[in-house]
Amino acid sequence: MGGTDAKDILGLPKTPLSLTQEKKSRPQKESHRKPDGISREVYALTGGVAPLMPSIDVTHLKRRPPPDEKVAWQWLPVKSSARNDDLQLFHWVRVVNDVPPSGDYSFAKYNKSVDVLKYTDDEYENHLTDPVWSKEETDQLFEYCERFDLRFTVIADRFPLSRTVEELKDRYYSVTRSLLRARAQSPSDLANHPLMKEPYDMTRDRERKRALSMVLSQSRHQEKKDAEILAEAKRITEMRLAARRAAEPDVPANENIGSVSPSSNSQLPATAVAPSTLTMADYASTLASLRMLHVYLRTYGLEQMVQAASSAVGLRTIKRVEQTLQDLGVNLKPKVPTKTVCDEHLELRKEILTLLNLQKQLQYKESEGSSHREGAYASMPDTPKDRVFASEPFSFGAERPIKKEQKRKGPGRQSDTPSPAHKRPRKLKASDL
Amino acid sequence: MTSSSSSKKQAQDPPETSEPTLKSLRTKMTKSDEKKKLKDIEISVPLVYGNIAFWLGKKASEYQSHKWTVYVRGATNEDISVVIKKVVFQLHSSFNNPTRVIEEPPFEVSESGWGEFEIAITLHFHSDVCDKPLSLYHHLKLYPEDESGPLTMKKPVVVEHYDEIVFPDPSESFLARVQNHPALTFPRLPSGYNLPAPMQVDDNGKKKRGDTKDHSMGQWFTSFSEADELLQLAAARQQVQAHIAKLRRQISLLEGQNQTVKTGSDP
Repeated sequence: MGGTDAKDILGLPKTPLSLTQEKKSRPQKESHRKPDGISREVYALTGGVAPLMPSIDVTHLKRRPPPDEKVAWQWLPVKSSARNDDLQLFHWVRVVNDVPPSGDYSFAKYNKSVDVLKYTDDEYENHLTDPVWSKEETDQLFEYCERFDLRFTVIADRFPLSRTVEELKDRYYSVTRSLLRARAQSPSDLANHPLMKEPYDMTRDRERKRALSMVLSQSRHQEKKDAEILAEAKRITEMRLAARRAAEPDVPANENIGSVSPSSNSQLPATAVAPSTLTMADYASTLASLRMLHVYLRTYGLEQMVQAASSAVGLRTIKRVEQTLQDLGVNLKPKVPTKTVCDEHLELRKEILTLLNLQKQLQYKESEGSSHREGAYASMPDTPKDRVFASEPFSFGAERPIKKEQKRKGPGRQSDTPSPAHKRPRKLKASDL
Repeated sequence: MTSSSSSKKQAQDPPETSEPTLKSLRTKMTKSDEKKKLKDIEISVPLVYGNIAFWLGKKASEYQSHKWTVYVRGATNEDISVVIKKVVFQLHSSFNNPTRVIEEPPFEVSESGWGEFEIAITLHFHSDVCDKPLSLYHHLKLYPEDESGPLTMKKPVVVEHYDEIVFPDPSESFLARVQNHPALTFPRLPSGYNLPAPMQVDDNGKKKRGDTKDHSMGQWFTSFSEADELLQLAAARQQVQAHIAKLRRQISLLEGQNQTVKTGSDP
């Protein structure tokens, strides 16, 4: 097709051979392509090749009604069981062979309603009296319940006396329960009724709604804190379980972590406390597992304890601890691992972790402060450049100015850390001992 | 737990090579100090393991360039066979009988060769000590770190590592047998706890001495002292603690500032 056109444009002679060839090939191709039931263009959309498994049954696409049926559309009156008034409505109805469709209006089945119990006055006197609720109120409540299909928010809105949604719910459900109980032929009948199985508890409902609104109104920051605390709590409980199973009685109980309350004041202290209690459980379980071995090398034992200490922190913090140890001139793995040395080493690592934690806290507090004061952008999280101790190794005897921690802050921040070199007290050196 | 133990430990001299004195170990103290259970007692055996390698110089051939000895000894050169029954050295498969079992002190294997490889050293203990063996791994070193220097026949390449075997819950019979032995650190027993007297075995004449104090290569042994390391650690801890205090002050200062800002009106 394109070939001959091009040749035409260029003015090239079309050889009779090629022409006949093309003519022959074209009809052949087209006869392959001739689809059944769908137009050629649509078929071409699928790539011009029939799918291996026909995704659409092609015969369905242009199905025409069987010729023996006669279909007409008529404007007819319609009756619906959903309506209980006499309003006569008209619809277009598909009539087949002059027979209009039978049966109820097809959408009537969706007209569900709630089965609100009706009590007699006697029943009220015997079972349903309540100091807070008068009979009139209760009657009104039930009428509304029926009218509004138990949509309590709507009922609460329209109720003449101002009552909370929970109170209305409580009254309705307790009345219904008492009625059911009173009317039941035998207690077993009732057992499966959903209202009896799960009774409505007003205080719980209130609590639930309050908690929900608190969660919804949480700032993203609080969300993160909560997630952190929950993760810690989960880990603590797991550790505690492991430690308890290992029959080590030294795990301290910390109830603060158990109850998660998203209040900003308790956030930071909680997260600061959480790592330490977590690792106490870790140590206990590590010690227990070491004991199980009956014999182990002290270096191995130290390794395990160090791992336990680092289990609650990320890789970056671990690297920072190691960097700090190097800066202080301490071997990452003690050369003479006696018991005292190993204990001291572990204590040092723990203290460094505390130090790093405090640094983070300080930065957070500073960013909080600066954002309150200036509305400035929160300071950047600390980078590997923030090193507490000098980058040169701690040396015995030599005087070295220890560099201050470098922090990147937003503009206009009030610095409350003293300027370097003169205010910072000279670090204790080994030669002083 | 461990912090209380380090503060409550008996002030002892760190183990030096030449002092085979008895040291009583601090028990692992728990918060409930009053009920010192037997299980908080541990016995530890300080060890040194490694190798010494001599270059053979003129007598060196392509496949036998060095003469080396791999060994395990007590850190204070005391006799560790009180605890260790036998030591199995697993050499490179190219050696004849690569599994060398040494059942008597000194626990060492001497060979000649040219290659450096990892040796698995498995310590088997007496039955009243522990059923399970313990493995150490040592990379045999023949060539000195300083590659440029000339190889000398006189000075060997020595690589030694210090470590301690810890028995966290020793049996009574074990405790009884080894009390007062210089090769290990014996724990302080809770008051009122009496061990049966050890069986007196007259082994001075019959058995070969098992300590390595007069070892032929003793001059090359390293003496490991915990003093330096302790000093280092103490200094480091003080620094860190000082810094922690400083940060805490800063934080409480900031908290005070933040409070005043929050209660004040926003600009």
